[in-house]
Amino acid sequence: MLAKYLVRRFLASIVVVLGVTAITLILMDRTRGTYVPGIDLNPALRPEDIARLRAGLGLDRPFYEWYLTWLWNVLHGDFGRSMIDGSPVLSHILDRLPNTLELTGTAILLGVLISIPLGVIGALRRGSKTDHALTVVSVAGFAVPQFWLGLLLILVFSVTFEQHGLPWLPSSGATSPVGGGDILDRIEHLVMPATVLSFFYLSLWSRFTRSSMLEVLSQDYIRTARAKGMAERRVVYLHGLRNAVIPLITLVGLELPGLVSGGLVVEVVFGWPGIGKLAFERALQYDYSTVMGIVFFATLLVVAGNLLADVLYAVLDPRIRYA
Amino acid sequence: MSRREVEQDQGFAQFEKFLDEWSRRDFLKRAGGAAAYMAFMAGGLEFLAACAGSTTTTSVTPKKGGHIVEGNFSDIRTLNSMLSSDTASNQLIGLMFDGLTNYKKNGDLIPALAADLPKTSPDGLTYTFKLRSGLKWSDGQPLTADDVVFTYDLAYASKYKDVASPRRGDLEKYVASVTAPDPQTVVIQTTQVFAPFLANHTQYGILPKHVLGSLAPKEINTTDFNSGPSVTNGAFKFVKWDKGQQVTLARNDNYWNGPAYLDTYVYKVVPDSVAVTNQLKTGEIDVGPVDPSQFDAIKTASNVVMTEFPVPTFTFYAYNLDPSKLGGQLFSDKAVRQALLFALNRQQIVSAVFFGHGTVANSVEPPTSWSYKDKPKVLYSFDKAKAESLLDGAGWMKGSDGIRAKNGQKLKFTMITNAGNKQRESMLTVMQQSWKDIGVDATPSLIQFPQLVSQIVSIRTFDVFLVGFNWAIDPDESPLFHSRNTAAGGFNGADFKNSEVDSILDQALVTLDKTKRKQLYGQFQDIMSDAVPSPIILFNTGIWGVSTRVQGTDFGPFNQFGQRPWNSKVWVNDGK
Repeated sequence: MLAKYLVRRFLASIVVVLGVTAITLILMDRTRGTYVPGIDLNPALRPEDIARLRAGLGLDRPFYEWYLTWLWNVLHGDFGRSMIDGSPVLSHILDRLPNTLELTGTAILLGVLISIPLGVIGALRRGSKTDHALTVVSVAGFAVPQFWLGLLLILVFSVTFEQHGLPWLPSSGATSPVGGGDILDRIEHLVMPATVLSFFYLSLWSRFTRSSMLEVLSQDYIRTARAKGMAERRVVYLHGLRNAVIPLITLVGLELPGLVSGGLVVEVVFGWPGIGKLAFERALQYDYSTVMGIVFFATLLVVAGNLLADVLYAVLDPRIRYA
Repeated sequence: MSRREVEQDQGFAQFEKFLDEWSRRDFLKRAGGAAAYMAFMAGGLEFLAACAGSTTTTSVTPKKGGHIVEGNFSDIRTLNSMLSSDTASNQLIGLMFDGLTNYKKNGDLIPALAADLPKTSPDGLTYTFKLRSGLKWSDGQPLTADDVVFTYDLAYASKYKDVASPRRGDLEKYVASVTAPDPQTVVIQTTQVFAPFLANHTQYGILPKHVLGSLAPKEINTTDFNSGPSVTNGAFKFVKWDKGQQVTLARNDNYWNGPAYLDTYVYKVVPDSVAVTNQLKTGEIDVGPVDPSQFDAIKTASNVVMTEFPVPTFTFYAYNLDPSKLGGQLFSDKAVRQALLFALNRQQIVSAVFFGHGTVANSVEPPTSWSYKDKPKVLYSFDKAKAESLLDGAGWMKGSDGIRAKNGQKLKFTMITNAGNKQRESMLTVMQQSWKDIGVDATPSLIQFPQLVSQIVSIRTFDVFLVGFNWAIDPDESPLFHSRNTAAGGFNGADFKNSEVDSILDQALVTLDKTKRKQLYGQFQDIMSDAVPSPIILFNTGIWGVSTRVQGTDFGPFNQFGQRPWNSKVWVNDGK
């Protein structure tokens, strides 16, 4: 059953990857105008120079031809070279990947670790002041744009703190430009972006845990557990929480592709040298090959993340069967 | 799609609106730099271009050691001087590679790797350079005339046609040969007398033949050297490039102008111009360009010294004069063009949009140029009555709806500029309002920057466009105003054709005598002030913030980005 399901999902994934990359390319190709990636137009460039530079980048061919060549190369493990700087796309991605994983991994971990206890507290004390306060925080976390929160933190914890002689946090980058790079230095740089990013996860998942927990706690088996005299702590954590977090796993699983692409806004605001920032900058510069490489990579992860979430769900909850 | 991706998209749209001076969108701006290129600018860094005002008046003896961090919001593309076309790359290249000549901050040419300015042959076709003696690469190898020949070969020789050099256009046209009769001598033979040659084409960073000489042309485009030059000849040598974050350089002990005082020079990429200001305040960066909108936010910081000077960067609007287009029908009469300019309060635009950091333009030549004419034939101050009488006189009468019309044709048109540049969006709004006051119906329309450039250089269906531009050191303005450049791909998208202007511009290009040239450009400015095909709203100023611990910088209109002859003389007073 599961094998058949996986095969079907796999075939569907191929269509998704092809569709996403093709649409990305068409959008870039249709909007680039007279732009030649990597070269600022200047009046000294004659039309024939521009034609030569375009041809050098393979842009003299129609986009579908470019696409098929690109696809063929990717299938052979060759992501090509950036149109902006001529270095391999794969090395660009691999250069930035550790930074992105550091940021998003920390944020997701923080989100999970904090949101579950908050959700449980909210459920157990439903209607209390604590619950209301947590609700307000969650709604805020969901509603406040990440860029705004990021800028606010920079203004307060970097600029204002520094001016008042307080210990302050660096406002951009992943390490100090001079003499940085040790663990402490990295953590200092990580605090603000990870906080902003995890705030969102935290809001989402704590609400989810709370409602899921409330639902589970109203089940018959919980009443049974309580009736047979089981300690409340055991009821909540063994019978309640274990069942309540199962749906949460799907949600977290859906965020796994976000490990690579999820931090875009935060990366841009904090100048974090990650994949999201790279994709953003290169899209603005019409660096076809780099953008396509990242899109391909990110799409694969989205597809794989969804699949993994489904499979985990089945493993953790034997009631689920695939048809 | 999960709900959260949708959320993020919305956040993103707001994010874009929020950072109005969002400058990473400026693909094509970045004029200036090593090649003194001219390009249309999306807005951002170019506003920061700029002149005089040394930040250091100290008599303290410079100390060796320490580092500085320069911050900017543009990332680097390449460190190869023959491939680069953007300001950020040119800036890093300028720290590591000297060319034959360099500029003083006022634009005067000074020798760099050359011992003196070149000898020019009587026919004006041949330049002979003598290199300084004992020049060495950072690896100790001698730097000779062969390296110069190799560097120029990359951008004009036919065997290197596959090198993706943006310099090829001009060099192929003007260079007949570059030869090295002996290791100390370089002879550049040009195809025709071309007055701007030395000012435009002798600053390119010289590349090491002993490292790159064995590569095939295509390999030059992708060699590791471009992202990490193993050998340099400038004040600094390359240490590492943390992609997306910073480039670290160290002192080059073999530098001809004496080893730099600094141990380390870091170029840090920060998120945007607001971040430049924030980090100047916190001391995370020591040097950085300051956006006019940020000036007041930083001038109170006691740890930052500000320098401001005029620059040849400007914002202008242009009428479509092509008779087959709507613009041609509306604007072919110069009285209409003049009236619209009289109706604009440009001083108010400078104050409100640029916070006073800029100068209303009197002429098409920038005030930083030696050819600048302060008072050309027609001067335009804000004069609404004059604007109305000019339009009345030209037969454009107000109708019952308050809009002027002539022969049933309403004075009604659209103005385009690039979306996301708040300053330009504001200017269009001011123009709309000012012109409405005299009975002209102009509607702003915002399009993406690549589309704006396409409109200017090829499609040309616009009525009026507004964009930024940057002039090189030489006063030649053929790219925008010579009728030759109305051809597809040319920058004269306004379709301005004036045979007198053409002949003056052509003559000035083949005249080497500066006094004669100045006279020709004076005539040119007079004609342009009368014809006003593309009125300039303002010339910008360049503003730099420098930490009080940094000494020896000397920013000016032509010593901002690529060209800084004082790189090795910068030092820090705290030794850190």
